[in-house]
Amino acid sequence: MKTTTLRGLGRVAAAGLLGALTALPASAASPIKVGLLLPSSGVFAGLGKDQDISFQMALEDFGDEVGGRKIVLVRADTESKPNSGLAAAKKLILRDRADVLVGVISSGVLGAVRDYVDGAKVPLIVTNAGNDDITGEKCSPWILRSSFSNDQIVREMGPWMARAGYKRVFLMAFDYAGGHQLMDSFRKGFVAAGGEIAGEEYPPLGETKDFGPYLAKLKAAEPDAAFVFFAGGPAIKFVKEYAAFGLKDTVKLAGPGWLTSALYVGKQGADAEGTLSILNYVPSIDSAENKGFQERFRAKHGRDASEFGVAAYDAARLVIEALQATGGATDDRQALVAAMHRVQFNGPRGPFRIDPATNNVIQNIYISEVEKIGDTYGAVVKEVRPNVQDAPNGCSKPF
Amino acid sequence: MRRDPLQIPTVVLLVLAMAAWWHGADFYVHEVLLSEIALFAMLAMSLDLLVGYAGMVSLGHAAFLGIGAYVTAGLTVFLGWPVALAMPASALVAGLAALVVGSFVVRLGGVFFIMITLAIGQMVYAYFLKAREFGADDGMSGIPRLDLSFLGLDTADPAVFSAVLLLAALAVYLLLRVVVRSPYGATLVAIHQNEGRVRALGCPVHRYKLGAYVLAAAIAGLAGSLTTQHSSFVSPDLAFWTVSGEVLIMVILGGGGSIVGAAIGACAFLVLKHWLSAGESWEALGLPTFMADHWQLVMGSLFVLVVLVAADGIYGRARRLLRRDGPQAG
Amino acid sequence: MLLDPQFLVIQVLNGLQLSALLFLLAVGLSVVFGLMNFINLAHGTLYMLGAYFAVAVAGAFDSFWAALVLAPLGVAVVGAVAHVTLFRRLQSAGPMKQVLVTFGLIFVGFDVVRIVWGRLPHTVPTPETLAGSVQILGETYPTYRLFIIGVGLAVLVALHLGLDRTRLGAVVRAGVDDRTMVAALGINVELVFFAVFCLGCWLAGLAGVVAAPVFSVFPGMDMSVLILALIVVVLGGPGSLWGAALGALVIGMADTFGQVMFPAFASVTIYALMAAILLFKPGGLVPVRPSH
Repeated sequence: MKTTTLRGLGRVAAAGLLGALTALPASAASPIKVGLLLPSSGVFAGLGKDQDISFQMALEDFGDEVGGRKIVLVRADTESKPNSGLAAAKKLILRDRADVLVGVISSGVLGAVRDYVDGAKVPLIVTNAGNDDITGEKCSPWILRSSFSNDQIVREMGPWMARAGYKRVFLMAFDYAGGHQLMDSFRKGFVAAGGEIAGEEYPPLGETKDFGPYLAKLKAAEPDAAFVFFAGGPAIKFVKEYAAFGLKDTVKLAGPGWLTSALYVGKQGADAEGTLSILNYVPSIDSAENKGFQERFRAKHGRDASEFGVAAYDAARLVIEALQATGGATDDRQALVAAMHRVQFNGPRGPFRIDPATNNVIQNIYISEVEKIGDTYGAVVKEVRPNVQDAPNGCSKPF
Repeated sequence: MRRDPLQIPTVVLLVLAMAAWWHGADFYVHEVLLSEIALFAMLAMSLDLLVGYAGMVSLGHAAFLGIGAYVTAGLTVFLGWPVALAMPASALVAGLAALVVGSFVVRLGGVFFIMITLAIGQMVYAYFLKAREFGADDGMSGIPRLDLSFLGLDTADPAVFSAVLLLAALAVYLLLRVVVRSPYGATLVAIHQNEGRVRALGCPVHRYKLGAYVLAAAIAGLAGSLTTQHSSFVSPDLAFWTVSGEVLIMVILGGGGSIVGAAIGACAFLVLKHWLSAGESWEALGLPTFMADHWQLVMGSLFVLVVLVAADGIYGRARRLLRRDGPQAG
Repeated sequence: MLLDPQFLVIQVLNGLQLSALLFLLAVGLSVVFGLMNFINLAHGTLYMLGAYFAVAVAGAFDSFWAALVLAPLGVAVVGAVAHVTLFRRLQSAGPMKQVLVTFGLIFVGFDVVRIVWGRLPHTVPTPETLAGSVQILGETYPTYRLFIIGVGLAVLVALHLGLDRTRLGAVVRAGVDDRTMVAALGINVELVFFAVFCLGCWLAGLAGVVAAPVFSVFPGMDMSVLILALIVVVLGGPGSLWGAALGALVIGMADTFGQVMFPAFASVTIYALMAAILLFKPGGLVPVRPSH
């Protein structure tokens, strides 16, 4: 295939710098450098910060010293933009000599750094961006993911909603690759289970001032439910507008859980009540690990930890436990990645491990509904899909 | 024409400084800093031809950067063209696009020109954002670099490729100097100063302006081709209007109407940005590293300061210091 | 679906609501530009500040109405300070320096709200009296959207009367037409400019407050509206009140109906429309001065 030759080119491009990188073996006492590839400016700065503090909390919880070496963090701002993200990755690899990279919020940045990280042979643990192809068609032995693939999140929702009696569903998401991936995954399962798509709308990304026109179309299609994907500021706006247009009580609102993320479901308040969500984590998961984690996080930051924070927290634990397995050695990066494949633990979101066949995480997926909890609102788990795993991608990991 | 005795010494100094920096640099400086400086210097210098000479303040220059980048990406990845052919094709397509667009927009002046270039730039951005065949918002990867193996050079080596980019920037500078020092360039300046009078003299004003618009776009297209080779990746954000805004800032920061000033502006902008956004820099100053998160605050304040203390940019200020006799043209 | 009168009325209201917001945003920018020839790229930042001030005031007093009164005043004060310290020097400086300074202020404003209010989105609760919805032709429509349309209309009428009936208005109109002449008449142009600039900032702040309950409040919300406001100004013809109103109406309606009827081109509708209009009417829809 064409991509293999291209990947080869990417390797060649990075071959030049490899010599220099491997020429300097780290002494036993030198620090282990983890490069946080997160945005501190741009649209995803808030999520970047959330992951940064969660990663730091994991270092406190699980220890920041392995084999006599201290784990130190180095950072570079991706600005939430692909080209700046690539420059940031280069800075972490070339200048800071990071042993492991952790981060990447947006799928655009992940696409931009993929070839470079692959060529440089530095392990990257993706903590958010869910492009299916990064642990699918364009997988790399060096890129692991602690967060999710888009398909993994919504795959189960279509059949579930069809069974729950929602026969006609209206789809809506911003017009970009991630939005289409999530809607396509939902549609596949939903239609196969006998559901019917009542209509779909894809408002332009970054150009949509008003959801009003789309909500009027949704209403006119008279569906049983709406399955929509929005996150952050637009999600808050969408949920409020959905209620204001009187749709909340007539057309069931559902979507990937970022629609009512723990970061802002309190601000959406009563407007979010009753929203069905599907996600890999919600703060109300009933387990000792999660309760302890949330308690520590709340004590530190005064709010619930979100699914974004958990992905970074688990990534940190993955790095630490893999390093413990190698005795703190980072020179043999293949051995380090192999150690990551062997790590297994019970984290805040349940059993966590990386699938060696895809490099994507195997995790529980939670179907929940937003309810009033005390004097605020939050997602309450209705059903759990244990150990959801992506299909093997044929990427048999030749390092 | 303007006398500018500082031009040649500045260029020599700049070239020597870049050469020295390149010589002593590590992989990171080659791969990121010097390469970015060369690429943005090309863009800024070509925009200076419009802004500083022809008086056409464009806020859509990044559209041609994007077009050039996507042409190279498409030709090399889909059609397997050699990069050496894709590069002139990028410049050509960007130039042709500018010819079509320009024949309408060069008639507009002032803020109307700013806004229509912005609008057209955003339309180009919106196209690539939706173009599934080019990977839409996810972009495309796997774009190869120029093959110079017949010269015994490996462009995969960051040192080699950054040198190629710096030399390309120098070539762009020389080309633009020839243009602005020619009678054509003098006419552009005259149009900028008094369009009505030049038109009354029977000069086809719009055709002159169109020429500058097309040339600047072709150079931006070439820069786009080199940008996508450099990152082996292309995405729509290359064409977004804030990129145009940043390039315009570089021109103004360095001092428009001198070509070399734009290159200095690109240099200053990027060095500052990378320096301010690195926690280590703040640590070295004895300040808390979280300041690195707020590099935009510092950078923005610096822009304001520059206007207050050096209203005509870094190079303009230097020129003014050198000769304090009366006001400058342009 | 389009022929369905209910659907059509709802979409017209949606278009009017967006137009009203755009008008509030653009009118200050337009008059400042027309009068002072000053391109304020940081106008969107003032809008964002208005929304954040609304978050602060509504939080402190637990009242949207307090925010509606106080937050725009706060923005006007910020504008006044910026004018005295910075913008006054830039009036004769030419567009390049104005672009540099105000682009710099966008960066500064973005980081300042991040430092003060954090990076996560905020919301301002819709005031209780306007939180519900009304029935229009049997369709549910949010009351608050009607309120936005009302505010836009009220400001339009007030500004029209102000420009038409007051001495300050006469000076402003004269100033847009011919600045030097007004100065020659012995009028303190500086002071008039200052007052108009502060009013423009107040209006941007008002737009921010009014938008806050519908749009969520987050760093970067300024960038999404800046371009739109500029487009409305240029499309309408800089310096003209009715131009700004007409521009806002055209863009608001085009955006709403573009999204409904030509979803594939939704992201380019307004840009293409502006390009087309400028090609045929190079001075905007309501040109104040002949374009150069």
